[in-house]
Amino acid sequence: MLLYVHQSSCISPQQTFGAKDLDSLQPAVNNAFRIIEPSYEGIPTGILRRMGKAVRMGTGAALPLLRNRATPVDGIIIGTANGGMEDCIKFLNQIIEYQEGMLTPTNFVQSTTNAIASQIGLMTSNRNYNITHVQRGLAFENALLDAAMLAADHKAQSFLVGGVDEISAYNYNIDLLDGWFKQETITGNDLYSYDTPGSIAGEGCAMFLVNSHPDEAVACIKAVEIIHSSDPAWVAAALDRFLLHHLGTQQPAVFMSGEDGDSRLHAFYQACESKMNAQASVLRFKHMTGEYATVSAIAVWIACQIIDSAHIPTHMVKRSGGGRTNSVLIYNCHKEQQHSFILLEAVRP
Amino acid sequence: MNNTDTEQLKQQLKQQIVTFLNLINVKPEDIKDDEPLFGSGLGLDSIDSLELIVLLSREYGINIQDPKEGRKVLVDINTIADYIQKHRTK
Repeated sequence: MLLYVHQSSCISPQQTFGAKDLDSLQPAVNNAFRIIEPSYEGIPTGILRRMGKAVRMGTGAALPLLRNRATPVDGIIIGTANGGMEDCIKFLNQIIEYQEGMLTPTNFVQSTTNAIASQIGLMTSNRNYNITHVQRGLAFENALLDAAMLAADHKAQSFLVGGVDEISAYNYNIDLLDGWFKQETITGNDLYSYDTPGSIAGEGCAMFLVNSHPDEAVACIKAVEIIHSSDPAWVAAALDRFLLHHLGTQQPAVFMSGEDGDSRLHAFYQACESKMNAQASVLRFKHMTGEYATVSAIAVWIACQIIDSAHIPTHMVKRSGGGRTNSVLIYNCHKEQQHSFILLEAVRP
Repeated sequence: MNNTDTEQLKQQLKQQIVTFLNLINVKPEDIKDDEPLFGSGLGLDSIDSLELIVLLSREYGINIQDPKEGRKVLVDINTIADYIQKHRTK
């Protein structure tokens, strides 16, 4: 698999859209990392006012990548676990509140998971391949695999691939009751300080323009592997095979761990981190993003920034390695079951 | 209904329109009573007309079944307020 990233954009709880600043850490507010919303220039007000947050940030991040293209992209491929859940719940509540009577269309239109990809398609008059992957914690990874297969089959084509999810009151409360968020007040880097179950809620969106051409690419997504397992030893063994297959005897320069402060996931992250030698820098990123199903999209975006700039924000460093930044391995675990390895490499020497 | 009641109804209606339609950067007091809601005025569109029909049903118990009637009612704040006063059931 070879997928070259040419452009990217990211709307997140950090300064990632417009004037980027990854060195300054924006804290969580009320135990949640919510996105910094841009002004969404380019989205007409009449359309913007109907958009739910997931659709708004997905479209807002995608449009800058698509606006000045001479030709439309050949596919819009989005990964989202929940789509516009907030609007979905509003719509369902209306059914109860108004006793299955007259319902308004806007919440319904915005509530489907494919509303993000379809809105991007509508706003750019793009009638090409348009699909949404919804495999919970592996939705973005499946979107990447889809794009990689298409790029392999159609060398001349380019694709928009992205991952989007929002915090909705509904999924936040369900996950809180289910123990996925900490009871302690978390502001940022202290996320890793508590040996307790749960993490902190997050939301965000990252979009990438990809194809199979290395010319002027920012980075190359060399491999993606997805695993379902509840056994840390099995996941670590899978990482061994992954590294051997894709790097041989080499190690990645940077290991980006999806460690999220949840004591139940420590065994997975520790097992994978233990596979890295002293030359690999170990980084963490969930204190910037919070935890949510498609957070690996932002991890890929951060990895692209690190590869492109050869600079690692200090607050991300868990363990310093050899100082190289030419390859990044991302490992993420979602709810003790869904795991992914994403390997990125620099295109330029 | 006296003039005070009519004015109160119009203010309430403007607030409801701003809230129901999630109008960005529009305050209730920005909407003039005789300003066209669709096209050149407030710039509402066909989806908004559905939202307004649902608003009238939920808030005032008015069911507009005939599209021709809807076109005459959903012109501006004055026409909607007038229709509400004559047909409201709650």
